[in-house]
Amino acid sequence: MENAKFNARSQLICVWCGILCPIFLFTGLWPAMGFIPPLNPAASAAEIAAIFQNNTNGIRLGTIFIMLAGAFYAPFTAVIAAQMRRIEDGPTPVLTYAQLAAGAASCLLFIIPALAWTDAAFRPDRPAEITQAFNDLAWIFVVMPFVLAEVQNICFGAVIISDRRQNPLFPRWLGFFNFWIALSFIPGGLTTFFKTGPFAYNGLLAFWVPAGTFGPWFIVICVYLIKAIRRQDAERA
Amino acid sequence: MSSNVVTFTPDSHLRDPGTKHVPGESGVWVLIFGDMLIFSVFFITYALHRGDDVDLYRRSQTHLNQAFGILMTFLMLSGSWFVANAVQAARAQRRALSAKLFRCGFACGLFFGIIKFFEYSGKVRHGITPSTNNFFMYYYLFTGIHLLHVVVGMVVIAVLSSYVQKGTVDARKIRNIESGALFWHVVDLLWIVLFALFYIAV
Repeated sequence: MENAKFNARSQLICVWCGILCPIFLFTGLWPAMGFIPPLNPAASAAEIAAIFQNNTNGIRLGTIFIMLAGAFYAPFTAVIAAQMRRIEDGPTPVLTYAQLAAGAASCLLFIIPALAWTDAAFRPDRPAEITQAFNDLAWIFVVMPFVLAEVQNICFGAVIISDRRQNPLFPRWLGFFNFWIALSFIPGGLTTFFKTGPFAYNGLLAFWVPAGTFGPWFIVICVYLIKAIRRQDAERA
Repeated sequence: MSSNVVTFTPDSHLRDPGTKHVPGESGVWVLIFGDMLIFSVFFITYALHRGDDVDLYRRSQTHLNQAFGILMTFLMLSGSWFVANAVQAARAQRRALSAKLFRCGFACGLFFGIIKFFEYSGKVRHGITPSTNNFFMYYYLFTGIHLLHVVVGMVVIAVLSSYVQKGTVDARKIRNIESGALFWHVVDLLWIVLFALFYIAV
């Protein structure tokens, strides 16, 4: 009994990590680094280098925040998996595992760009092209690897929809909502071809649309995770 | 929600015009409207950029093969017709017919994909790629993302064609079949807009 209570509390802590994750990401990117709106991929190496020279410590600080956001993403992925496991309760919960694996890899999509930006800010006075290369690497890491989010969202959505109990653990529309989020990330995958326009890494379709769906996704998922955990607690009592 | 499912019979909305029937389940509309919202952003982006350089877009549009465009539109519309009739057949418990109609819809999608392949490869052979100009960037990317939708829709239809034949068609099954069919209609609808934007030169 005590143990069950403890577990519900750990799960809720994991959900709060999911709320902290986008807050830390945004705090790092915007007030600290000044990277909202995103840097322009068409800017010259000298212009990019100047940004890293003028706000060196702000960028260094911001990367710590983004790195922490990556850490917060791990428990969030874990609590999603734990609740998925309640629906996919056979001996082989493969969709739960796939979500967990993709979520674990997604943590690095916060940490690697943070480290690439930190590297650019680490020696801001070296040749501008090197700073530009690391900056490009970081942005491409942020925008392009949509595939991991696809795995997470499609697996989570599929499990929600497969829930056959009388009173499903998550509302069915939440499953379709996950599929929609997965769709919204696709344009980012095309960013490799562009330095200007909507598919560039500062573009409407590659950056702003996914950024606009990513935030609400966290909030909606967290609300329904809390409901599911409360229900689990009530069912056990 | 569950009480609705119990009282719902497949054609109740047809017999009693007073009751309103929302096709599929409410959840699938989240995906449908969400998807249409994203495509609306695509279309508005295109329209705004076209306004900046109308001449370039007009000149580029003449390179598209309108016959291909019309044929693909015909295939999309036919696909929707087959799928809509497949749903009707399922409601009438004519399961074998329903499966056959779904397979016809699938074939429409397949031919659509084949034509797209020839269209793309013909363009590339003439040196027209996404980096040629902004018009062709939008053309390749938007029709490419749509083609991805077509492939997903074909998978859905293929699943439905075997799903409809497994056991009697009850209310729950009708709901799932309608949800899948709705996705195909969205794919069709989006193509109509793409066709108007890219193929019809104004």
